[in-house]
Amino acid sequence: MLIKLAFRNVLRNGRRSAITLTVIVFGAVGLILFGGYKARTFWGLRESTIRGRIGHLQVYKEGYSKAQSQKPMEYALDDAASIRKQIERDPRVKMTAAQITLMGLVSNGEKSETFIATAVEPPKDRAMNNQKITAGDDLPDNESDAVMIGKGLAESLHVKPGDYLTIMTTTVAGSLNAMDVRVAGIFTIGVKEYDDRAIKMPIAGAQTLLQTKKVEKLLVFLNNTDDTSAVHQTINRNVHGIEIKEWSELAPFYHQVVALYNGIFGFLGIVVFAIVVFSVANTILMSVFERTREIGTLMAIGTTRGRLRTMFVAEGVSIGVIGGVLGLTIGALLAFAINKGNVMLPPPPGYTTGYRLQIMLQPAVLITAFLVSFVTATISSIVPALKASRMKIVDALGHI
Amino acid sequence: MTSNDVIALDGVSKTYKFGKIRVRALEDVTLTIGRGDFIAIAGPSGSGKTTLLNLIGCIDKPDAGRIVIDDVDVTRTPLHRLSTLRLNTLGFIFQTFNLIPVLSAYENVEYPLILQNVSPRQRDARVRRWLDEVGLADQWKQRPDQLSGGQRQRVAIARAMVTEPKLVLADEPTANLDSETATRILDLLAEINSRTGCTFVFSTHDASLIARAQQIVRIKDGHIHDVDAARAA
Repeated sequence: MLIKLAFRNVLRNGRRSAITLTVIVFGAVGLILFGGYKARTFWGLRESTIRGRIGHLQVYKEGYSKAQSQKPMEYALDDAASIRKQIERDPRVKMTAAQITLMGLVSNGEKSETFIATAVEPPKDRAMNNQKITAGDDLPDNESDAVMIGKGLAESLHVKPGDYLTIMTTTVAGSLNAMDVRVAGIFTIGVKEYDDRAIKMPIAGAQTLLQTKKVEKLLVFLNNTDDTSAVHQTINRNVHGIEIKEWSELAPFYHQVVALYNGIFGFLGIVVFAIVVFSVANTILMSVFERTREIGTLMAIGTTRGRLRTMFVAEGVSIGVIGGVLGLTIGALLAFAINKGNVMLPPPPGYTTGYRLQIMLQPAVLITAFLVSFVTATISSIVPALKASRMKIVDALGHI
Repeated sequence: MTSNDVIALDGVSKTYKFGKIRVRALEDVTLTIGRGDFIAIAGPSGSGKTTLLNLIGCIDKPDAGRIVIDDVDVTRTPLHRLSTLRLNTLGFIFQTFNLIPVLSAYENVEYPLILQNVSPRQRDARVRRWLDEVGLADQWKQRPDQLSGGQRQRVAIARAMVTEPKLVLADEPTANLDSETATRILDLLAEINSRTGCTFVFSTHDASLIARAQQIVRIKDGHIHDVDAARAA
């Protein structure tokens, strides 16, 4: 009877309840769309960061972290081949990729620029699919003096595929060394600051230039990101003389974005909470005022004050449930339509390419949206419920 | 108060405050009402009839004096127990019917039985019986706004009677009805009173209703003016 009464009273003033429900539905839809967008952004940023740049794990020689800023190659892996063999035995590991990072000067004979080069294994780098080639080709497999050059750097040096450049850096022994390289292709990763300085070269060429056989680090790629910590522990147990970092330690930008979006999402949640509280409280308060005589009658014929409170809270719960369910349905349908609609967003700050708007319908987002609607509607009914239950019967009945 | 009395008021006074003005609604009222009585409280508007009914109905508290309903001193009973007393011992019939608009005739009559935790089967039997008694067996599905004034008051009577109260309080029960419907409602109340032995106390200034009462308590300016039978203490 309590539930029946609550639902019927909600439907009693259809227009007012419809306005309240619209507010709740808008709130829930907003939370679902923004929450889903946030979830998709986090997932996309995480996976692109891991699979395109840093790997799930990075394996270094023990002591690397302490010495990294001074002389990274002094703490390079001398037996990378046997280490990667042990790591790749694990079926959760998709692949490993050796890398060296070096800096120096690049010159076209007339002009010099500083560069940051990533020396890679060309087939592994292609598998990472982390760049867009704007001219020329990818790094060839067996040509140690071929390079790819960032778009901004290529523009600055006025080079095109097929041109030759000279790159110069310090060897592991500390002397200067230079080599002529052929520009195989021009690439971009979408971040201007990086494209203005970036070079990619085969690891064999970098080793020649640095006069070493070692590699700086091994990137470990997994089939499933959720296995990161477990594989980390397995490698730690099986391989000695190394240190390992997980992607989470190597991705400060990812954490900054997560913190920013969580802040925005939290603020949005508070705004939705406030709007729903005021809207539902207003609806139920008006209902209490309109039903004063009815409240008096209910108490006169034996309804306890506690039961009366429950009755009005049940109305808030009913509004919350109806609004939450409608919000979930409409939010999910809108998310589906947006994902199908191929909506493109402009490039974010620091990026040169836009991206597709996608909403990820995670259970956590849907549950949060429903709970915010339900809990706020319930909370907002408490004050009106107390007001109703504290009425003096004789006043409520209008008999003096 | 004797064991045959269901209500006893002893030196009951009630004053209302309207800002700085104090209005004495009842002053030193002493009265007993016997079980099975059919009593009219008569008097002009503002005489204190409704205040008297409110105090007997435990929906207001006196400033002074003592009220005993069915052997319970209600002036010393905590509020939460009074709602139980109202539910189990009293029945209310209001001038404006006061039905719950979102509930059907059946559900309105059923409501107090739900408060009493009566089993669904017993509820159904009692609700159907009382809707039949008041002549609304066929209108059980209708909501109050689909019923006439007389039918609404019949539903209110069924709701008041379904808990089998010892005392029914009716505040101007026919004031919002035409004379023909009022007579039928009055006949119904009198018939229920004689058949069930339930005490009926109603306030009115309607001469035809006063004429049907077994006893008349006349009230004026908050004082009992006279009682037509020798029941005043």
